[in-house]
This record gives sequence, C-alpha cells and structure tokens, in this order.
Amino acid sequence: MSTGEAKRTETRLEDVRRRLRGTSGRGRKLKGLIALLRPYRSRVAAMFVALVLGTAASLAPAPLAKHAIDAGIVPGDVSTVNWVVVAFVISALIVWGATFAQTYLTGWVGQRALQDLRLQIFRHLQSMPVGFYERRPAGVLISRMTNDVEALNSLVTDSVVTLFQASLTLLGTIAILLVFDVELALITFCILPVMALGSLAFRIASADAYKRTRETIGAITGYLQESLSGIRVVRSFAQEPRHRRRFHALNDDNRDANMKTVYLNAGYFPAVEFVSALATVAILLIGGKQAIDGQLEIGVLVGFIAALNGFFDPIGQLSQLYTTYQAGMAALDKIFELLDEESDLVEAEDAIELDRLRGEIRFEDVTFAYSTADGTKLALADVDLVVPPGQTVALVGATGAGKSTFAKLLARFYDPTEGRILVDGVDLRDVRASSLRSQMGIVPQEAFLFSGTVEENIGFGRPEATHEEVVAAAEAVGADGFIAALPDGFDTEVGERGVQLSAGQRQLLAFARALIADPRILILDEATSNVDLHSEGKIEEGMRRLLAGRTAVIIAHRLSTIRQAGRIIVLDGGRISEQGAHDELMEARGAYWALYRDWAEQAAA
Amino acid sequence: MATFRRLLGFLRPYRREVVASLVLATLAMAGTVAIPWLTGRVIDRVRAGDSADVTMLAVAIAVAGILRLALTVARRLIAGSVSLGVELDLRERVYGHLLGLEMGFFDRQQTGQLMSRATVDLQAVRFFLGYGLIFMVQSALTILLAAAAMIALDPGLAGLSLIPVPFVVFVAARYGRRGRPAIQEVQQRIAEVTAEVEENISGVRVVKSFAREERQFERFGDAVGRLFDQAMISTRLQAFYNPFIGFLPQLGLAAILFFGGRRVIDGTMSLGDFAAFYTYLLMLLGPMRMLGISLGMAQRATASGARLFELLDRTPRIVTKPLAPALPAGSGSVELRDVTLRYEGASRDALTGVSLVVPAGRTVALVGATGSGKTSLVALLPRLYDPTAGEVLVDGVDVRDVEPSSLRSAIAAVDDAPFLFSASVHENIAYARGGGDDVPREEVEQAARRAQAHDFIGRLPEGYDTRVGERGLTLSGGQRQRVAIARAFLADPRILILDDATSSVDASTEQRIKAALREVMAGRTTFVIAHRLSTIALADEIVVLEDGRLAAHGTHAELLEVSDLYREIVAKGLPDQVFLTRKPVEREVAGL
Repeated sequence: MSTGEAKRTETRLEDVRRRLRGTSGRGRKLKGLIALLRPYRSRVAAMFVALVLGTAASLAPAPLAKHAIDAGIVPGDVSTVNWVVVAFVISALIVWGATFAQTYLTGWVGQRALQDLRLQIFRHLQSMPVGFYERRPAGVLISRMTNDVEALNSLVTDSVVTLFQASLTLLGTIAILLVFDVELALITFCILPVMALGSLAFRIASADAYKRTRETIGAITGYLQESLSGIRVVRSFAQEPRHRRRFHALNDDNRDANMKTVYLNAGYFPAVEFVSALATVAILLIGGKQAIDGQLEIGVLVGFIAALNGFFDPIGQLSQLYTTYQAGMAALDKIFELLDEESDLVEAEDAIELDRLRGEIRFEDVTFAYSTADGTKLALADVDLVVPPGQTVALVGATGAGKSTFAKLLARFYDPTEGRILVDGVDLRDVRASSLRSQMGIVPQEAFLFSGTVEENIGFGRPEATHEEVVAAAEAVGADGFIAALPDGFDTEVGERGVQLSAGQRQLLAFARALIADPRILILDEATSNVDLHSEGKIEEGMRRLLAGRTAVIIAHRLSTIRQAGRIIVLDGGRISEQGAHDELMEARGAYWALYRDWAEQAAA
Repeated sequence: MATFRRLLGFLRPYRREVVASLVLATLAMAGTVAIPWLTGRVIDRVRAGDSADVTMLAVAIAVAGILRLALTVARRLIAGSVSLGVELDLRERVYGHLLGLEMGFFDRQQTGQLMSRATVDLQAVRFFLGYGLIFMVQSALTILLAAAAMIALDPGLAGLSLIPVPFVVFVAARYGRRGRPAIQEVQQRIAEVTAEVEENISGVRVVKSFAREERQFERFGDAVGRLFDQAMISTRLQAFYNPFIGFLPQLGLAAILFFGGRRVIDGTMSLGDFAAFYTYLLMLLGPMRMLGISLGMAQRATASGARLFELLDRTPRIVTKPLAPALPAGSGSVELRDVTLRYEGASRDALTGVSLVVPAGRTVALVGATGSGKTSLVALLPRLYDPTAGEVLVDGVDVRDVEPSSLRSAIAAVDDAPFLFSASVHENIAYARGGGDDVPREEVEQAARRAQAHDFIGRLPEGYDTRVGERGLTLSGGQRQRVAIARAFLADPRILILDDATSSVDASTEQRIKAALREVMAGRTTFVIAHRLSTIALADEIVVLEDGRLAAHGTHAELLEVSDLYREIVAKGLPDQVFLTRKPVEREVAGL
C-alpha cells in the first residue's frame, strides 16, 4: 500500500469502526451492514438503479409478445409488429447493460466492504493484549476472519441482490398477469403458496443434507491428508489394508449423505416442472374457453405462458435466501462479539516516550494472578528485585514456579495485579508501548518464523536494516554457516511454506533477529529441545554474543547457561526462594544445589 | 481425446445404468418438447373456436407433464447413484494407488501437491463424470429435439431463430473455461489471507515484542488487496459473460417476432405455430447455457484427468515377486553387504559401500552429523527404500525376497517426532496390530505401562479414549514419544529402530523415557540414532557414519582409541559432560 492510500484506508476504517461501535441493540446487525456499506453509498445507489432498471426491462418480453399478437398480428398491423421488435431489442440491450453494471458494482462494493471488515478485525486483534490470545484457541480467531467473513460475503454479494431482484421480478410478474386478466391471474396465484412452502421445505431439508455432505467430504480430505503425512508410519507398520478399509467406510458415509441430496433433488426439480406444466394446462383450459367466448384476447394466453417463468424462478431463489441469511447473520453476530472485546491494557494518553535505556529493571512487590474460568490463580507473589544494567539473570525453578510469568510481566504482556515494574525508574504502565518494545528483545522458546526469506525474518527485528547488517547479525550469532548451505542462501523461503529448518537453526535465526533489533533488555526463553550435537556449541556461542552489553533475563534450561549468568534466581511457587551467583548458591547447599544435582545426574546418566 | 476416452472408462461398470438414464432422459425430453407444440395446437384450436379439442389437448399436456415427472424422477435417481458410485470408485482408486507407491515417491512430492491432485483434480473429473456429462447430453438432446420440432413446424424460421444457439454455446463454454479457474484463483488468495492471519495469531508474541504491528498490518493489507484484485477479475468475467449469454437468444426471439409475425399476418403460418416457436426458444435458454458450461467443464476435466492419470500410471518402484514367502522365523540379525543408496534425483549417494553385521539382540548406536546417512541406513531395513547396490539381509534373507508386510511387522520404529493419527490413544497404541477393537484394552494398558505412558494417559480428559493427533488433543513431544514406544511394545518386533532426539521434556520425563526404552530394547536387535552420550552408553556397539560411509565401528572404548572423529564428537558435542568433570564440588553432586 502506498502512504496516501494507507492514510485513506486508515480514515475510512476509523469511520467504520466508530459506526460499528455506535450501533447496539435491536436491528444492530442491519445497522452494522449499513455502516460497512456507507463509505460506498454512491456506488450502492447506482447499483440499485441498475438493478431496478434491469429487472423492469427483463419483464418486458411477455407483455411485448402479447401486444405484438393482439395489436399487430391478429389485426394484421405490420408496423405495430415492427415497433414491438424494436422495443424488444431495446429492452434486451437495457437488460444487458444494466446487468453488467449491477454485477460489477455489487462485486466491487461487496468485496471492498469485506476488505474493510477484514482489516478492521485484524486491527482489532492487533490491539488486543497477549493474554487475549492465550484465552482463545487460534482456530476460533482465524475462523472469524475467514469462514465468518466468507459467510457474510455470500450474504452481501448474492443474497441482497437476489432478495431485491427476485422480489421485484415476482411483484412485476404479478402486476403484469393482473393487468392481462384478473380472473386468470388469480387462478395462477393459487400455485403460489404451494410453491413457496414446498420450496422452503426443500431448501431447509437440503441445507441439512448438504451440511452432512460437506462434513463427510471434510472427513475424507482430512483422512487423506493424514494418510499422506503419516505415510512412513503406515508403511512401517504395514497397515495399508486397514487404511484402505477406513477410507472406504468414510467414502460410504459420504455417499449416503450425498444420496439424500439426490433424493431431494430428484423429488423437487421435476415437481417444479410438473407444477409449471399444470399451470400451463389450467391457463389453456380456462383462458382458452374465455378466448373462444370472446372474453379474452388470444395474445393474453401466449403472454401468460411466456410470463410463467418469471413467476416460478423467483420463488425458488427466494427460498434459497433463507439459509444464506441465517448463516450470514450468525457470522455477523460472532464478528460483533469479537469487535466488542475491549483491550485491558490501555495506553495512557500522556504515556512517556522512552529514551535509550540503560537497562535497569526493578520489580517492587509484584504479585500476579491469572484469571481463569473458576476464579484466579496466583502465579507470582511479592517479588522484589533490582537488576542493574548489563547483568544477566537466569531464572530457574520447576514447571509452574513462575518463570514465564516473570518474563511476560516484564514484556508487559500483562500488568501486575499488585505492585509495579520499573524500567530505568519508569513504571511500565506509564510508558508508550512501542518505545518500550523496540528496546526490548524477546526470544521465545519455540522460535517462530514468518513465511518469507531468511533475510526478511532476520530483518523483522529492524525492517530498515540493510543486507550487510542482516549478514553481520547472522555472522555474529554464528548462523551464517547453515544459511550459506541453504538452497538460496539468505533468499531461501522459510516458515510454513518454505524450507523446514531444525529447531537449532530456528533458534539461531531468532538470535540474529533479536540482535539486529539491538535491544537494551533481552528476555530469552531457552529452548529445551535437544539440538544436533554440532549446533549445540554454536547456539551457546551465539547466545554469548547476543547477551554482551545488555540486561538479560533468561528462563534457563541448560547448565552451561545457568552457570554463566551473573545472578541466578530460584523461583518456587511464585516466590523467590534463593538468589545469587552459581558458586555462592552451590556453597549454600539449598534449593539450587538440589536442583543442580538432579540436572547433573540427568546429564551423566 | 485419449484422456477423455479413458475418463469415460470409469463409467464402464455402470454401463446398464448409463444406458437406462440416457433412454429415460430422451423420453423425458420428448415430453418437454411436446408441451410447447401442444400449446401451439391449443392456440390454433382457440382461434378456430373449437373448445372440445382444446380440452383434449390440455389433457394431453397434463399427461405429457406426468410422464415427464415420472421419467425425470427415475432418471435423476439412477444418474445420481451412478455419479456417486463413480466418485467413490475414483477416490478409492487414487487412494489405493498412493498407498502402494514407494517412499521415494513421497519424498519428492510435496504433500500439498498430492492433495491437490486427490482433491481439486479429482473433483473436476467427478463433477464432469457425475453431473457434467448428464447435463451435456441432456442439454444437447433438448436442443436437438426442440430444433427438430421447430424445423418440422417451419424450416426457414427455425433456421433464423436457431442462429444464436451455437454462439451461446460457444460463449458459455468460454465462460465455463475461464470463470472456474478465476474462482479457484480467488480461493487461493483467500488461503493466502488465511495463512497471513494464522501467522499473525501464532506469532503474536514476536510481532508485539518487536513492535511490528504497523508493518504486519501493511502486509495483511497487501494480501487483502490482492484478494480484492483477484475477486474483481472474477467479477468482471461474470459481469461480462452472464448478461452477454442472456442477450444472444433475445435476438432469436426478436427474429421470431419480426419474421414470424409477418408470416402469420401473411397467413403462411398459424398463430399456434408462432406461439410454439416463441415458447421453444424460451425453453432453450437454460439448455444452451448449460451445454456451453458443461463443455467448459469437459475441457477442464480432461486437463485434470491427464494429471490424475499421470499419477495413476506411475507404477510402484518397490515391488515384490508374487507369492514371495513370509520372513522366516529368527531373532533379528541384520547384515548390510556393500550397500549403496542414492535417492532418485539426488546428486550424491546417501550411503556408499556400507557393510555391517549385527548379530541378533545387539544394540547399535548410530552416530554422525546431520546428513551422514543414519536415517537412510535404518530406512533400508523395513524396505522403505531399496539399495542402489548391495543387499540388506534380515535373519539371513534378502529383504527384497520376502513379503513386505511380514518384514515390516517384524520391525518397529520410534521416531524423534512420532506421528500420531487423529484417533484415540487406544487406537494409536493398538495401531501396530490392526488397531481399534481388535486389541483388548488390557493389552494396550500393559504396553502403555511398560512405556511409562499409563500415568499421563490416565490424566487425559477421557483416558485411553481421548482423541489425539492433528484434530484432537495435542500431546507434548515426550508424551507422543511414549505413546510411540507403547505402540512399538505392542508390535513386539524383532528389530527396533529408535531416534533419541527427544524434544522439550523435563528431567523426570527424560528419566521415564529412558527407563521405557531400556525395557523395550530388552531381547531385541536395536538401532539407536543417538544424539547424546547417555544414549550411546546404552549401546553394545557404535557405528560412526561420515558422509554416507562407515567411518568406524566398535565399542565405546575401542572407538575412543581408534577414531579421531568419535573422540571429537564426544569432546565437542557434549559440553555439559565436559564441565561436569572440571570442579570437585560438581563431581561430587554428579556422583562421579
């Protein structure tokens, strides 16, 4: 996006956000839809003009045919026939042009509105604190942005148009038939309730049936995917016949589900044709008698039969709306629910912009409790601590002792329940988040890489970095060796859709990414996975380079890391139970000594 | 065309049903075509003032309607079940074929691409064979029968008013060909947007910690923008073709009004014939469009079919002689005789001239850098690959001469990242023995106990019935590994293959896994791909691999003496081990 365009998008989104938030109560969903379409109201208006014009023109052939017969052919007036043909071609041209305009505009407006909605949800998600993500499965959030927006898509682009077009066609046809002949029209209308109810029943039944077929085909695709990813296991245990049987069973399920739709379709569509034939018969019988008696012009008969289609198609289309409408509204509900979530970490208006930090960290009586489904769970209690600039602190303790909570509070993923955390003497809550985070590097345990090149992933820490700087960072942490061996070096695609890197290699890239950001404070969750024998030493070396000259808090798992830390903090049940340098703690023969013995035994086993 | 004929071959088992549905369709279409003709006759009788004939003709229309109803219902039921049958056959054929292909095939293919063959291409084919073909035949029949009726009524006017038909079919076919790929491309863009969302949600900590929200928002904006552009391409196609296809037949109607109207005034045509003509053309609007679209479908199905046949024609490279004997009884001795392995398409050997004799019951540790051939060596035993040269013997027979499933059930592997199926824990453990209900719970539990997995399984929400794997509960690396060890227990193999690169396990779990391994290894020939000294210590002998060659083979003590490489690995690879020996106080706590 160019800057100007980005700015316009931003203003538009701001406007939509205000309107979406402003709506509430009954009719909210409709208001929400209108708020989404509002920025494009002139196009929406043009679309409706085209829609009405096109629908009106598409109704013309039946009355024109009737007129041609009654005013031209029967009395033998050739010029009337000529005029009708001209009118006929003109109406066809109008339908052509209007349908083109309407289809194009609907697509444009619908897609733009959805694009806005996607950006809106994305922005909203970004504004949410990390705790928000921990409480919700990723799949649910992804589904809001994909399935739910898609469900809205069919509502906005198809259903709205169908609703108006089909209703107009139906009303127009009813009007035309009434003008042709009231009695005959009323007889034809008898079919209406039968058709409407039948169609609705069919749609509801087949919506169910199609849901079943989608589920069963999903199961088949999933099974196929799994068999392919697990082919090695299948092969090793020689279980091919079993998989073939299971696959057959899934296919059978799918066939059964599909068979239901076959039954429904085999019943419904021929029945509609049959009702239409019956209508023709009724019109011919009753209208024919009237025409013979001279009460009815013969062109009306032809006009009636020609107009019947305009009567049946819209009923079928309208009945189809029911299911898309329901799905769309349910999706809108869920999207609103998401957009209504407020971030609980709000930045103060007068938040402080931090200068370059020295890197002193101070915890003052910090207590933190997670809110869970059933009350709260204490994770950290009365932690008091000062870390001078440049010191490396290793956090050790059993699982659940509070090590990662400590790190998360420092990164301000959460705010403490009690007490405060200061960096260079400033409370984290008074700081502009972006100015804090740009000076704080976080290396998580499982190094997450984005799909993109190696260079892009390292540069993620500082997008304006030059190629030379990226290379230098990679060299500094010792990642240059394996990068050079990749197929395209620094331009190799990694992440989900690229080359699979080993845990150790990912870790080294995460180091380089953190290094290039040049943070003053580093929070590092050491990986526990055992990496390749040869990578092990490299990672240690890379970490040493990364830590030099920075304040660092490490959730440590490796003996070598722990031993090299300036200070070791032992956490137990959310409290600091011991702290000091390695040698001091070993002499003290306390909790650390006991922990250390376990590790040493394990390493020697 | 050859592909097209082969595709039709899938219908062969349903010959009778296909013929039946064609006959039914033809008869039903005759009914459809009769109705406008009868309507025309009614108009004429009305003009003549003959009300008795009108009643009779109206009854005839009703009868035609009823016949058509019955015939169409029957036709739809038969054709529907044929199309579902073809779909099932096709899918199972592809699946069965994939399962039969050798591992080397899967190494070179991305799962995504295979999935695309097995879903997108297969769908194009089955849509065409299942529905497209019927639509095509039915539409063509309707057009032909209606055209015949129109020509019978008035050849000249029929010729004029049918002029738009080929154009409509041609344009609709073009649309069918271009529209669908455009929609698929839109789906692709949606998938990209989804991937972008996924990444930002999974990587939210990284994004936040580097304060890169703006940049990520821009990236997402770009992805959404690309989706918009592609959706508009699809919309433009739709906006152009749909009304255009609707417009062309209107010209035919105009021709009927203009010329037909004059003919009626001249008295050379009856008003009823005129009305019948008009109705025929209205009736043909749908079939014309449908014929075009199904022709487009046929083209795509042929292209997809070609890709599918490419897959189906790929013969498995690892085949066994028919009636090969089962693996003879034995206790699991292994011998490699001058084995060389080069993967298809690779530029260098994965293994070169490896000879190795492992007596039954021994534990062998394989040591070497990534890519030195450890994994390749063990993959030869269950015959996941055939060696390029040399032979692999298990209990004295060449693995190529025995029935593969008997060989494979004598060997079990526990990977470093074990793959679990989306099924219950019970089924995953019982997998080795046919899975599910064939294996009693007691046996599964016993295996889990020996694998040190019983305790954590007991704590899962539904115990042994908890669903795990991709679409179930996510187990930790250590838990997965213990389930895999339990699976190996139950398989009761002669030969066991282990990869000890356990990830993310804490100290106590580590101990449990070790205990489980010791238990499962007892009395079996075991190959361990070793990543740490503690595992190497479990082995009777050690094989050091370097660039696919056997660099050294012997006991720990022997190798320390003769192999520089081994010494280096021991020294450099295990820093924790190194510092343990440095300070007295630490020696003490380590119990050394």
